[in-house]
Amino acid sequence: MKHERNDPMAIHPAARMYAEECRTGRLSRREFLTRATALGLAAPTAYGLLGIAAPQARAETPVQGGTIRMQMDIKAQRDPRTWDWSELANVCRGWLEYLVHYERDGSLTPVLLESWEANEDATEYTLRIRQGVTWNNGDAFTAEHVRHNIERWADASVEGNSMASRLGVLSEDGQLRADAVEVVDDHTLRLHLSSPDIAIIVSMADYPAAVVHPSFTGDDPVGNPIGTGPYRPVSHDTGIGAVIERNPDHTWWNEGNGAWIDRIEFVDLGTDPSAWVAAAEGGEIEITYQTTGDFVDIFESIGMPSSEAITASTLAVRFNQTQPPYDNVNVRRALQMAVDNETVLELGYDDRGEVAENHHVCPIHPEYAEMEPPEFDPARAAEMIAEEGLADHEFELISIDDAWQAATCDNVAAQIRAAGINIQRTILPGATFWNDWLNYPFSSTEWNMRPLGVQVLNLAYRSGVAWNEAGYSNPEFDALLDQANGIADADERREVMLEIQRLMREDGVLIQPYWRSLYRNMRPEIRGAEMHPTFEVRYQQYWKA
Amino acid sequence: MEELGWLAISGRIVQQTLPVWVAMAIVFVLSIRFRRRLGLYGKLFDSNVGMVGFGIVLFWVLTAIFADLIITHDPLAQMRGMRNAVPGSRLANPADQYPYYLLGGDSLARDVFSRAIMGAREVLKIAPFAAMISFMIGISLGLPAGYFGGRLDTGLTFVANLVLAFPVILLFFLLVAPEIQATVIPTAMAGVLFLVPVLFVMVLLNARFFTQPMKRNLYVGAALLVGLWAYSGLAFNADPLGVWGMRANLLNVFVAVVFVNAPTVFRIVRGITMDIRTRDYVAAAQTRGEGPWYIMMWEILPNARGPLIVDFCLRIGYTTILLGTLGFFGLGVSPESPDWGSTINDGRRLLTVYPHPALVPALSLMSLVLGLNLLADGLREESLRD
Amino acid sequence: MLLFLARRVGVMLVTALCLTFVVFFLTNLPAKLETLAKTQAGSRMSDAEVASWLDRNGYNQPMLMRYGEWLGVVPGWTREEADGTVRGRCVERMGAEGYGARCGLAQGYWGQSTRFRAPVSEVIGTRLGATGWLMLWVLIVMVPMALIVGVLAGMREGSRTDRSLSTFAIASTATPEYVSGVLFIALLASSTVGLSPLLTSWGVIDGPVLFQGNARSALEGITFWNFTLPVLTIALYGMGYIARITRASMTEVMTQQYIRTARLKGVSFGNIVLKHALRNALIAPFTVIMLQIPWLLNGVVIVEVLFSYPGFGWTLYEAAVNNDIELLLAASVVAVIVVLLTQLISDVGYVFLNPRIRVT
Repeated sequence: MKHERNDPMAIHPAARMYAEECRTGRLSRREFLTRATALGLAAPTAYGLLGIAAPQARAETPVQGGTIRMQMDIKAQRDPRTWDWSELANVCRGWLEYLVHYERDGSLTPVLLESWEANEDATEYTLRIRQGVTWNNGDAFTAEHVRHNIERWADASVEGNSMASRLGVLSEDGQLRADAVEVVDDHTLRLHLSSPDIAIIVSMADYPAAVVHPSFTGDDPVGNPIGTGPYRPVSHDTGIGAVIERNPDHTWWNEGNGAWIDRIEFVDLGTDPSAWVAAAEGGEIEITYQTTGDFVDIFESIGMPSSEAITASTLAVRFNQTQPPYDNVNVRRALQMAVDNETVLELGYDDRGEVAENHHVCPIHPEYAEMEPPEFDPARAAEMIAEEGLADHEFELISIDDAWQAATCDNVAAQIRAAGINIQRTILPGATFWNDWLNYPFSSTEWNMRPLGVQVLNLAYRSGVAWNEAGYSNPEFDALLDQANGIADADERREVMLEIQRLMREDGVLIQPYWRSLYRNMRPEIRGAEMHPTFEVRYQQYWKA
Repeated sequence: MEELGWLAISGRIVQQTLPVWVAMAIVFVLSIRFRRRLGLYGKLFDSNVGMVGFGIVLFWVLTAIFADLIITHDPLAQMRGMRNAVPGSRLANPADQYPYYLLGGDSLARDVFSRAIMGAREVLKIAPFAAMISFMIGISLGLPAGYFGGRLDTGLTFVANLVLAFPVILLFFLLVAPEIQATVIPTAMAGVLFLVPVLFVMVLLNARFFTQPMKRNLYVGAALLVGLWAYSGLAFNADPLGVWGMRANLLNVFVAVVFVNAPTVFRIVRGITMDIRTRDYVAAAQTRGEGPWYIMMWEILPNARGPLIVDFCLRIGYTTILLGTLGFFGLGVSPESPDWGSTINDGRRLLTVYPHPALVPALSLMSLVLGLNLLADGLREESLRD
Repeated sequence: MLLFLARRVGVMLVTALCLTFVVFFLTNLPAKLETLAKTQAGSRMSDAEVASWLDRNGYNQPMLMRYGEWLGVVPGWTREEADGTVRGRCVERMGAEGYGARCGLAQGYWGQSTRFRAPVSEVIGTRLGATGWLMLWVLIVMVPMALIVGVLAGMREGSRTDRSLSTFAIASTATPEYVSGVLFIALLASSTVGLSPLLTSWGVIDGPVLFQGNARSALEGITFWNFTLPVLTIALYGMGYIARITRASMTEVMTQQYIRTARLKGVSFGNIVLKHALRNALIAPFTVIMLQIPWLLNGVVIVEVLFSYPGFGWTLYEAAVNNDIELLLAASVVAVIVVLLTQLISDVGYVFLNPRIRVT
């Protein structure tokens, strides 16, 4: 955790409002921190607004030195803005740093920025670039470099550039808008947004937003590792492993607050967790990247305690409404009704999470409106299916071959079958599944957490958006969502949200059984490596007692 | 929640499998009683190895047949509270169901015992059938290749060697991938491969009866009708009556397995044919003026049956293992299918904590393959004694 | 003999050509190319992005053309970008000279692995080396074990030793690698069940486990502890078959006239077996061992994946799963060569061991 001196004049009025909401219990602390820090407050100040002290990062003094071996997939590297797996980013975190970090408690901490502030209506952001940062080739880090990176992120003509869609308020025709970024001086930058967006800074903490040197041409960030961070790659073999060591020729701007270990070795052991267990027992790895299901217990039993992160990540078992028979709302609702989400959580995900309610808004989201649990009535479900003349129809539920996702879908299918409805399962290998994920009639997709409830709804359920895998198109829903997007106050937004949630359930958009907790297991002597809700592996902060 | 002890579990399993034991006893008593009149099959009961092997195989065949009577739960049903339950666990809320999971529950809370039993049916539905089609193809091509020799032989042998030069796993990855399923390739291959057995039966009958046109027309016509009926259903899923049919992924696996096995059978048949071709009775048939297909089908083939039957048994075992390999690489038949290969693969990850979900199907698979191998050994010994 | 060898090499070439074309065809189906694009450039890309990626990387030419490029008989694709830079199959390899040049198998270029982002020849080379070690140890363990079991069983047909050893051999062929490997891990390499916790509590071993259930560390150095389980797993499955062939061959030899004569002359049984029977009995197993090698490849894929040992089998698996076209092509060429070469060696070796046969 970096300790920031805060700019005292810059407490955004909305932040004060949020603090009030949080104190009165209308806003969770996590959510308050996300939103207040997104508006430019430093974490200690945000905690201060609540009248409490920021939690002490750690009581122990970190020990310098040592090597940590971690199990993690090592995929072929490519241009950071096109990264589609957190693992790709995690390898490079030692030298490619970010403007801001999203923390475990939901707050944002500045990294290559010193601070930022938004204007009243969140259409103009002033970013102050950290002083004294140098690249490991000796160049000084300047505002112009940040502008260059934002321009790269906004370029939608690069295939797979997922940053472009996050920066819509800064771009025009798939490129950075000419007047969107104003370089005020060497260490100040001003963003002019085309519409209010409080998520813009949060987006810059996302893993594809690694800051690269202007000389980076866009192929391999490991081959030419120019960055601002304290580490450098030693070797990188796709599918096998990567070794990263502390860079002795570079003075890190944050010297003394991290970069404890000498070396981190990532070992790619494939996707089979039992191979990880075997490797851990043989002493080949000391920490896992992510552990799921029964393996959490197994790792604990061999002396590797687990670290848990509660998240709004989930598995959306959605219907595609453009494909028959799912174009019929009664069919969708009947299938929803045949599935008891609590059972899915128990049998499909080992009870490691919270039951969800088929509308993709999580209780940890500020605008979440409390609702009655979804209806569970298998007998009625079978009746409804029969009424639609589909008693003999064989439904098909598709999932990726990942263990917990397949198990969850197997349980959903088993419950539907137990209700007396014909259903079969199809499992597709990871490489193939994504070919057609938007168009499968009935399938499941993993969704990672977004800090705000409306964010996923905007991404996945608004009519015509790129990731609308449910084929959901309801003008009423869109209108309500627009309305919700314009309401800054969580209480007011909650009223709209209730309607949205109800609408989603009435339209039978998806079966959403649970919110996941994420786990990671490690040897007891490893510190600073707690599970991160968005899978970050910030090994600058890891150390060994 | 009380659990059953091992003794009680064994007792209940024997009780559940009672139909199998009764049927086995009947088969054995009758077979031993009449073994002198039963040819090669009867001789099996003279050899201990053969008898043990036959016993094991018979057990699994009967289990597959009576599976519906034996199982205690729906092999796909998941019960709350029964995740990874130990063998003999009592259901939390049995209601009118069988109150125990005899061999425990798997990681999705399904009954391991019922899955293993149903798995026998899955395995025995595919493996022998696939082996049979492979044999028909191997025989239909191997006989003429060995008998005529020349260009035909060179060409077919080259193609067979081509397929055999492929590492089996690579072939499976190329053929069983979901992308391939969406193309016409599996259907086209099935269209060709499944046509061969139909042709085989027709040629077989035609060669025998072509001197009696009436009878020939009747037999060949009937065979053609039934054959094409099954063919339309199996290869193209277009059976008008809906009796024959195969899911796309099953068809895909099936075609791949046949494709891998047929060349080996072809080589065996070709070798034997080349050997038998020089025998006197073939020369005699030739001088009698019999047609080449008659000689191949009705002179050479029956005399080659010994080694072929032995290889058939071994090949069923090998196919069973192969299906498991597919399961291991996630290319299995169907995701929830209780077939042993997939079940072993699902269970193996948790083997160190919950051994039963993987061990039960693993032992089943091993015993079936062992039985088939012993049976083959017994048959080989006895047929050599002729 | 030379003519024979030349013909075999010719057949090998034609076979390899046919096989690679089949592999090429199956890996270049439109759906497979889409998979490739998505694994390469982002799994949640839109269809338009996929099309543009395929176009930019030379995948949308006719399939035969691209097969020709791979073979090196057709000039590699080139493409001028909007900013004037030229990209192309050969440009990336040879720089500006690559424009319009051929670069493929004929020029000694095996292509670039998309999965590992490295030249295929490099990947295949190192991985084959790793598998070489594995196979070496498998053969060292498997062959003597199989021969001993076979000879002991075949020495006295029908004896108790014969029955028990034969059953063992059959049982070992009935236990596929994916079962035995997992059982070995559970029994010998788990700190919670099997042998290891027992040994630890008795103080026999220092670490928590006896053997390592993962062979990744064998890349840095092969030790008894990290290599035993994978070797044993492959060896066990392959052993049974060779043992049975040896037994059959041995029993046949033991009934021969000259053995009987030797026995009547009063030569001791041990001497008969070692001096007279063994050489003749080993002809059949030799050919089988050679033919077994390509067949072991299957087991190698399973075991290398199971124990995460990055050898040839593991590479084959990774290439197949990720539709790494050029790596798969190279792997199938290697496989063909292994299959046909072992066949050749087995034929030639048969001649040397059995002077009654001549190669024609």
